[in-house]
Amino acid sequence: MDDAVIVGAEIVAGHDGSAELLVRLRHPDGSEGPVVLDEETGLKLMEACAAGSLDDLKGQSWRRIVETG
Amino acid sequence: MFDVIVKGGLVVDGTGAPAFTGDVAVKDGRIAAVGKVEGEARQVVDAAGRVVAPGFIDPHTHFDVQLLWDGAARPALEHGVTTIVPGNCSLSLAPLKAADRRRVVGMFQQIEEMPPEAFTTAFEWSWEDFAGYVAAIRKGLSINVAPLVGHSVIRLWVMGNASQERAATPDEIAAMQDLLRECLDAGAVGLSTSFVDVDENGRPVPSRFAQFEELDALCAVLGEYGRMLQCVPEFYATDITIARIDQLAELSLKHNIPTTFSPLFDTAAVPDNAPRAIARVEEHFARGARVWPQMQTRPIDISFSLLRPSLFFARLPRWVRILRQPLDERLAALRDPETADKMVADLGPDGGEQMMGRLVVRGGDAAPSELVGKTLSEIAAARGEVPARALINLSLEHGLDVAFLSASQGHQLTDRIGPMLAHPLVHIGASDGGAHLASFATYGDTGYLFSEFVRKGRYLSLEKAVAKVTSETADIWGLKDRGRLAEGLAADIVVFDADNIDRGAELPSFDMPGDGMRYVRAARGVDTVLVNGEVAYSSGAYTQSRSGVICA
Amino acid sequence: MPLTRQRRFVTPGPDETVEELALRALPGEPLEAAVDRIKSWNLHIFAMRKPAGLLLGSDVVFVEPPVG
Repeated sequence: MDDAVIVGAEIVAGHDGSAELLVRLRHPDGSEGPVVLDEETGLKLMEACAAGSLDDLKGQSWRRIVETG
Repeated sequence: MFDVIVKGGLVVDGTGAPAFTGDVAVKDGRIAAVGKVEGEARQVVDAAGRVVAPGFIDPHTHFDVQLLWDGAARPALEHGVTTIVPGNCSLSLAPLKAADRRRVVGMFQQIEEMPPEAFTTAFEWSWEDFAGYVAAIRKGLSINVAPLVGHSVIRLWVMGNASQERAATPDEIAAMQDLLRECLDAGAVGLSTSFVDVDENGRPVPSRFAQFEELDALCAVLGEYGRMLQCVPEFYATDITIARIDQLAELSLKHNIPTTFSPLFDTAAVPDNAPRAIARVEEHFARGARVWPQMQTRPIDISFSLLRPSLFFARLPRWVRILRQPLDERLAALRDPETADKMVADLGPDGGEQMMGRLVVRGGDAAPSELVGKTLSEIAAARGEVPARALINLSLEHGLDVAFLSASQGHQLTDRIGPMLAHPLVHIGASDGGAHLASFATYGDTGYLFSEFVRKGRYLSLEKAVAKVTSETADIWGLKDRGRLAEGLAADIVVFDADNIDRGAELPSFDMPGDGMRYVRAARGVDTVLVNGEVAYSSGAYTQSRSGVICA
Repeated sequence: MPLTRQRRFVTPGPDETVEELALRALPGEPLEAAVDRIKSWNLHIFAMRKPAGLLLGSDVVFVEPPVG
């Protein structure tokens, strides 16, 4: 199947006062939806994707999120 | 002879009706008269120039533990809150077998961030059943308590370790139903459940292992009593929130019970999050279901220190890289002049003024007390440094144990939130009072309601704002004796200055057992608070009154 | 009064695995593709759950991508 990919990411204020990573995914049918990653998972995802900035996450497969979680 | 007359104030009776100048008389803990009151009283409270309103009701708190040594749930009471609902998010301190205490303490510490001494030295743990817990807190109350019982502890009582492993059997569900009935008979005002919380090991709390059928069976019991189901849903995930709303609506309709979920946040990152959720709630109310979204008034802040990496620096890859290193290497990197120069340069020509200048030193850690509450911009100017350099150096000087606060980073847009708070189906709540102690202050949301959304934004009239946190809350929760200044009802009364009521600055306080730290906000503009007819707080001080009750 | 269409979801049965749920929710699809779809639509479960892969009876599991 075609993969859902990250099309955007930004920092949001988490319920517990931490900074969290909100990742927007585009699915193969063109629909989009957000997923919120806690601070630890967000940082791991950035490292796993060698992302120097949030923009560097664009184009990454949803699988990276599961792999790093 | 009345016991108390609150005299000459602007009476805002909690119904939303226009305010009027008048008196409120109290006799035997109840409101005896409202209007122009003739007669004598043992005590007169001069309310000239002040608002006289019903005491505020906070429907989402975690004061379960604190109530065992602090019957005022400080500082909730001084903010004008006269009734609190603890036991939210599937966790309460009863029913709980002695053998399971350690396990539940871990869950509480995860949510409340309370020091261990709070559970070992601050009270004698004498109860197992819900009636025992109620008896343990009842004797010292100066605030009213309408406690929820937690689904997770009910499940733990019946299933033991299996409560965090598997679905319940029909017999176990029946046992949970019996136990819930027992708790409701002992004073619980409803059941709380959670779809998001984890224990101290990151494992989902027991309620999350329940099939919908189990929750349905428990709601059947709530239906026998007409009581509330509270849940905490996933955050910022609108589709999931709507799925939860649909589940709650199904339970509400089937069992004729009120339900509430908390919190509902607004966020610029997902701008249709709250509006879509509210639209779904409207659809369900039109069908007869009761699904009340709780929305907090205060914005969400982000806090961090350099002791741990934070996504606050996500736009600064070098900072993230350095802060992810082990502590020794991180310290070495930060101390290296060349590396620090590069980090500062990453912020651009303003040296981090725009991104970091408004950060506030929080205190409660190794930060010098004279810096607490100051902005990094102010501190940097005094040090003759740019903000980014000051952040690094100040952290290094104190072993990196300096917490910084980035205020109002979520749920912060008054012009969006104001109309939502005024929406007739939005329930103002979700304060989380008594939780997240070491992360942020969960007190003063009512003060912020009046300062930000009544005085500044004018999204709610004074009367409407009072009604939202008094009669409407009482009606939603079925607290028949509360929420209005009307003859015969319980005399929970707050006298406040409409021009000044507010929440104070967030400050560290070492008033938890074992000198544990929490962040608090003092009240501003609240003169007097009466609970069941007795003055519990006046002129900036708590009294010896213990007139709080377990209320239904 | 009919409700507006929202994203469809199911909840896991007792001890149901993601594979079993995928086959139930997406009958006729090859197992691997079905599991992939379920996971990609439900990162709120599969990104951060401890232990990884644990399905809970209370989980909302979407069986289609976001609507619209």
